[in-house]
Amino acid sequence: MDTEKIISLKNVCMYFGGIKAIDDVTFDIDKGRLFGIIGPNGAGKTTIFNVITGMYIPTSGEIYYRDQQLNRLMPHTITGNGIARTFQNIRLFEDQTVLDNLKIANFSHTKYGLLDVFLQSRKFKQEEERIEETSMEILKFLKLERLANKRAGSLPYGEQRRVEIARALSCNPEVLLLDEPAAGMNPAEIRDLNQLILNIRDHYDLTIMVVEHQMRLVMEICEEILVLNFGKKLAIGQPEQLKTNPVVLEAYLGKTS
Amino acid sequence: MTQKKNKTNGKGTIFWQVAGVSVFALILVLVKELGLVSTSVLLILQYVGIYSILALGINIVNGYLGVFSLAHAGFMAIGAYVSATLSKYVFMNDWMFIISIFLGGIAALLVGILVAIPSFKTKGDYLAIITLGFSLIIQSVLQNANFVGASQGLNNIPKFTNIYWVFGCLGVAVILVDRFIHSKYGRSLKAIREDQTASMLVSVDVRRIKTIAFALSAFLIGVSGALISHLLGYTSPSAYGFTNIVDGLVMVYLGGMGSIIGSIFGSTAWQLIVQLLKNLGTWRWVVGGGLLVVVMIFLPKGVFGYMELKDIGHKVKGFFNGSKHREDQ
Repeated sequence: MDTEKIISLKNVCMYFGGIKAIDDVTFDIDKGRLFGIIGPNGAGKTTIFNVITGMYIPTSGEIYYRDQQLNRLMPHTITGNGIARTFQNIRLFEDQTVLDNLKIANFSHTKYGLLDVFLQSRKFKQEEERIEETSMEILKFLKLERLANKRAGSLPYGEQRRVEIARALSCNPEVLLLDEPAAGMNPAEIRDLNQLILNIRDHYDLTIMVVEHQMRLVMEICEEILVLNFGKKLAIGQPEQLKTNPVVLEAYLGKTS
Repeated sequence: MTQKKNKTNGKGTIFWQVAGVSVFALILVLVKELGLVSTSVLLILQYVGIYSILALGINIVNGYLGVFSLAHAGFMAIGAYVSATLSKYVFMNDWMFIISIFLGGIAALLVGILVAIPSFKTKGDYLAIITLGFSLIIQSVLQNANFVGASQGLNNIPKFTNIYWVFGCLGVAVILVDRFIHSKYGRSLKAIREDQTASMLVSVDVRRIKTIAFALSAFLIGVSGALISHLLGYTSPSAYGFTNIVDGLVMVYLGGMGSIIGSIFGSTAWQLIVQLLKNLGTWRWVVGGGLLVVVMIFLPKGVFGYMELKDIGHKVKGFFNGSKHREDQ
């Protein structure tokens, strides 16, 4: 069971006019992995997230989630099936409370219809109670429960990031995509975040993909890393291997160190 | 602890709902049967009720969903014409009025589902123009359709509407909208209003939600059309043009976007203004447009923008309890 593939990209290309944002990228992710994607600015890291979650339809190639092909599915279907994400620039529903942000993310697995709503059926009440409970559980796990009734937009940056992770967890995912979760954080906060990501993975039994600039985060916690440059796959492997890979050093690490 | 609190709150609100409805019904009976008010005031009360239903309907799409739609004149016309035709020729009895109202609403609902389709891809000004086009198309179709009297419209519609029907329908409308808003559907509406892409990526089926919102909105607007045509006893295409569009917008934007109490307040206030300005003749429409401009500048969210009475209660409480409490909140 250890090597069950949960996400597979096969020769995926994403072109915007003449720009090759992703060019013939192929890789698999094993279930339960903490998978990192690194690369310089404009290397196509976020675009990979966007094609997996259905925001873009890839120009060519195939994307699989287990055995299911994702290419043509709508974003809400993909998310409902178990792939949730956060955003590079936080996109919370700022005017709603933190709790409501989480409740909204329960949409696809809330099992009541319009009739239940209008008649306030027992099913409606049970589901609403369940949503409230699971949302509070997630908030508690991320130590955010005291913020439940605050307006999401009123929170400081770091807490908004955590709320966004909480909201993604509310989609009840199997795969969690984190888009630069450490952006704008100081080293101490990054250390906390590392621990948090590991805890989330173990507690919710998730596969996690992280796009990150902060080498510290990626190198410390990721078990497998994909290196992109100008949309092309440069290398894939464990952090230790990549540290000594001359191609990677030249394209990426070489510049920063 | 929170759960316990919620449960007592639930029972409390049910008690207050029942109490409120009974008191309100009692007032209606007294007003109508004992003749406490003049016929003209009674008429104004019915206008208030009918336009509150209209404003609630508009508010679902324009307020909660945050899509600027001008389709309400078209929906209202459909509700009015379908129900009027039905009660003229099919459901001619007094008690059958409920069927005409319902089918008028359903007819508008079905068209509403079609109008929702352009909203999947277009937004802002473009959608406003598309929905405006829809309203004007309905108006010109009615102006040229001989079987519904062309520009003369329909006459001799049985005057079934009375204050009980109006406020009965309004009560049902308020309950439906309130329940709808406090469910996953209502939460999704607000999410789409804030960030459509993010909504999709937290599994909200945006197309379905938009369709449902337009359908419910059109249903309520259709019902208000049914009520108004049976109140006046006649209806004509000229009632569903620009004036109607502006009226509807003024009520919603004056009363408050995304607010039930705001819809009712807006239509009440607007009716009062219209009645007070009656002597101005055509000039009152100038005042109407002018008011819309003023409201948009100084109160962009309306008087009760995104708030209900209980939210205001919280705010007032917070204000009187001093700054310490407010920071805790």
